[in-house]
Amino acid sequence: MALALDLRNLPDADVAALAKEGREPAFRELVRRYERPVFSLIFRMVRDRETAEDLAQDTFIKVLNNIDRYRPEFKLSSWLFKIANNVTIDHLRRRQLATVSLDGSPHAQTAAEAQATSLDVESRGESALEAIESRELGSAIERAIGKLRPEYRSCILLRHVEGRSYEEIAATLDLPLGTVKTYIHRARHELREALEDLRE
Amino acid sequence: MDRHLLPEEIDLLLDGDVGFGTPPLKAHVRNCPTCSSELESARALVRQLEHLPHIAPSPLFANRVMSRVQLFVPWHVALLDTVRGLIPQSRALRVAAAGMFASIAIALTIVSVWAFSRIDAVMFTADLVLDRMRGAAFGALTGAVSALFGDAARPLLEGGAMGLATAVLLVIVTGVAAATMVRVAAVRARGR
Repeated sequence: MALALDLRNLPDADVAALAKEGREPAFRELVRRYERPVFSLIFRMVRDRETAEDLAQDTFIKVLNNIDRYRPEFKLSSWLFKIANNVTIDHLRRRQLATVSLDGSPHAQTAAEAQATSLDVESRGESALEAIESRELGSAIERAIGKLRPEYRSCILLRHVEGRSYEEIAATLDLPLGTVKTYIHRARHELREALEDLRE
Repeated sequence: MDRHLLPEEIDLLLDGDVGFGTPPLKAHVRNCPTCSSELESARALVRQLEHLPHIAPSPLFANRVMSRVQLFVPWHVALLDTVRGLIPQSRALRVAAAGMFASIAIALTIVSVWAFSRIDAVMFTADLVLDRMRGAAFGALTGAVSALFGDAARPLLEGGAMGLATAVLLVIVTGVAAATMVRVAAVRARGR
């Protein structure tokens, strides 16, 4: 308990050094420090609580099981966000591949063929989980963020929610600095447009 | 400046850039209601984004992560932990333990120095002790061989190294045979 309390005052690099020594309280402290930022980033990217928990879990497991590879000259949080972003982008790509059109086969020639190959989705009541999600991500700004392209979304969230510099974002996402600036500029522009549309 | 600010210029002001190009932009914004409103709208968006809260995962999140993390304690850390575990917690006990270890170390050093200064006496005593031990071991072995094989086996032991090796081999073989027989008898008894 005393070690856990002491850990709270240590910088990330020192906690990571203790984690490298196999100290369980140090692992727990790293999870405690970053579970919310990492989960928030992923949740706002995938907009599904259950999936976000799974992806955040994968992120922490990858980082903590490879903590011996961590180099203290870099920010631990940047490494965590990098893994979180990679895990999330991979998931979004897989989901995009697995998406089936509800409007029927793209090869359908006639309306009847399209109707025959379309999927029937019954309307259903909002589950408890969906209710929580809509409360958490239901504000106008959250909905506007949800409409951004994933790469714009991660950039704008890292910049303004996590308060990262352009250089840090570029290093975290493995993108050129100019690209990061462009993405953030476009994201702001799209967000303002989306918010104006929602207001109207 | 006879034009409105470009989007990149609005971004510069939004990010609080303090480069030499920003004073004319700021001056323009002060006098241009359109650009001023544009900048204010961008700032409002940034404020909204910066006030977005962090969302908590479920309360069991940390436990679920920890259940899948491989904790590996390197040997030097484990060794240090063991040593630390042996160190008393209270200051008084730590001082007492340190004093005891220091006394033992000093005593051992004095004995070592004395032994090196009288190396002949030490060698003589060591030889004597070794001889005694060898005699005792030989006596025990002779006794065991006599008990197992009778006095007829005594000449074996008097036959030098070869005889001694044969006797040891015989003792081992007899021991193994006896153990096997006991085991077989036990198995049969259990079978019944």
